[in-house]
Amino acid sequence: MNIYHNNILRNLVIRNLKLKYKNSFLGYLWSLITPLVFLIIFNFVFGLAFDFIENYSLYVLTGLVFWLFFTNSTNEIIGSLFRNSSIIKSISIPLEIYPLSSLITEFANLILTFVAFIVLMLFFGFQFSWETILIIPVILIFSLFILGFSTMLSVLNIYFRDVSILWNTINPALFYLTPIAYTLEIVPEKFHWILKLNPLYFFFEGGRDILYSNSVPSLNCWIYMIILASTSMLLGYLTLKKLRRGLISNM
Amino acid sequence: MEPIIEIKDINLSYTLVNPKIQSVKDFITSMSFKKLFTKKDVIKNLSLNIYKSEVLGIVGKNGTGKSTLLKAIAGILEPMSGKIIVRGKIAPLLSLGSGIELELTGYENIKLLGSLMGYSRKQMMSMNEKVIAFSELSDEQLQAPVKTYSSGMMARLSFSIAITETPEILIIDEVLAVGDQGFQRKCMNRINEIHKKGGTILFVSHSLADVQRICTRGICINNNVIEKEGNLHEVGKYYNSLFEN
Repeated sequence: MNIYHNNILRNLVIRNLKLKYKNSFLGYLWSLITPLVFLIIFNFVFGLAFDFIENYSLYVLTGLVFWLFFTNSTNEIIGSLFRNSSIIKSISIPLEIYPLSSLITEFANLILTFVAFIVLMLFFGFQFSWETILIIPVILIFSLFILGFSTMLSVLNIYFRDVSILWNTINPALFYLTPIAYTLEIVPEKFHWILKLNPLYFFFEGGRDILYSNSVPSLNCWIYMIILASTSMLLGYLTLKKLRRGLISNM
Repeated sequence: MEPIIEIKDINLSYTLVNPKIQSVKDFITSMSFKKLFTKKDVIKNLSLNIYKSEVLGIVGKNGTGKSTLLKAIAGILEPMSGKIIVRGKIAPLLSLGSGIELELTGYENIKLLGSLMGYSRKQMMSMNEKVIAFSELSDEQLQAPVKTYSSGMMARLSFSIAITETPEILIIDEVLAVGDQGFQRKCMNRINEIHKKGGTILFVSHSLADVQRICTRGICINNNVIEKEGNLHEVGKYYNSLFEN
């Protein structure tokens, strides 16, 4: 990466952000409305059933913000090479730039969402403490985790378009496998290991510890997050390196 | 003199997902991962030296590997074997409108394309006015989204950005054809100017007249190899002979 690449990256992110809301009337507000609608539905549907969960609204909200960042950024990154194929075919730019620009776009979106949602979270009883600052490293590690495996899928998606279709079917399944609307406690103990096989589990646990319980995530949780993120990045790097050569002819 | 572009015995082939396999069923019945991909040779054992301030015209039938060669020189495709050494910065114009975002305005696209072509923020700011002047697009047009443009107007946009600054190596792959006569002439003059300032130009075109007018040397690619090289008149004659049978 050199100064030209930084400039390209910046311009691609600006382009992505502009395109995201270009033709919609409400524009950026959609990134607030979508989680709000989810929140209302969840409160209605699950709020009564799970009335034993303390401060359910705050619980769901913290999970939702994380989840929406996850689905939006994976979707964006998986499609990134395909969407930029006309540029890839005519200008020589390191391919890593495209997934990275998608991630940064969604990251910027997350920050904008967060600013507005902090207000809502305060309303639901969230309190700032020194632990709150830890959400920054958690989100950064989570981002690397997303970037790695999504880059791998974006490469495979060039060879077989089935990949993005497949992802769209796996995605909702992951949503229900992750404790977003429910807590781990309501699941019988003997099934806990299944939920923990889901790599997303640890990132959500980490995020929840900080934003919902105002506590520091356990050492165990940090280690899992870091291992998952590095494995994912390695996968992304290796796929891109191995399959780079054939990409252009299949675009 | 050291060549500005040195191509040493390159081989290039495409790896494609086998077109015979179109569904999961085909894949399962073929039962083999090897058959999943097919290889198609595009360039075979090609060597070529290009020197500074040359204008090299490249002609050849469709699908013989002209564009592939340019892509390899531009660093987009990697040869399977052999080596390409490029001693300078390349401004590629390989396909019309690549990188142009239809939903964004002309002004926004100038910024985006400029960065994609490798100009820094500072360079872009200083060349912005020249780009706009060269493109002859009005302020009103540049404020409109590019989806409202004709293909000629789009060509003006990408061409202006690529050639406003004097590039060390300019690669043009048949993108001039869509502009109107006035703009085509303007581009030809600009290419001449770049040539005189010491720029090196690779020019692919099907218009033999254009090639003979601006180029200093020619090659004709056929059957994945350079079949004729040298004097423009002879290369032109050879190219024409390919269509007589």
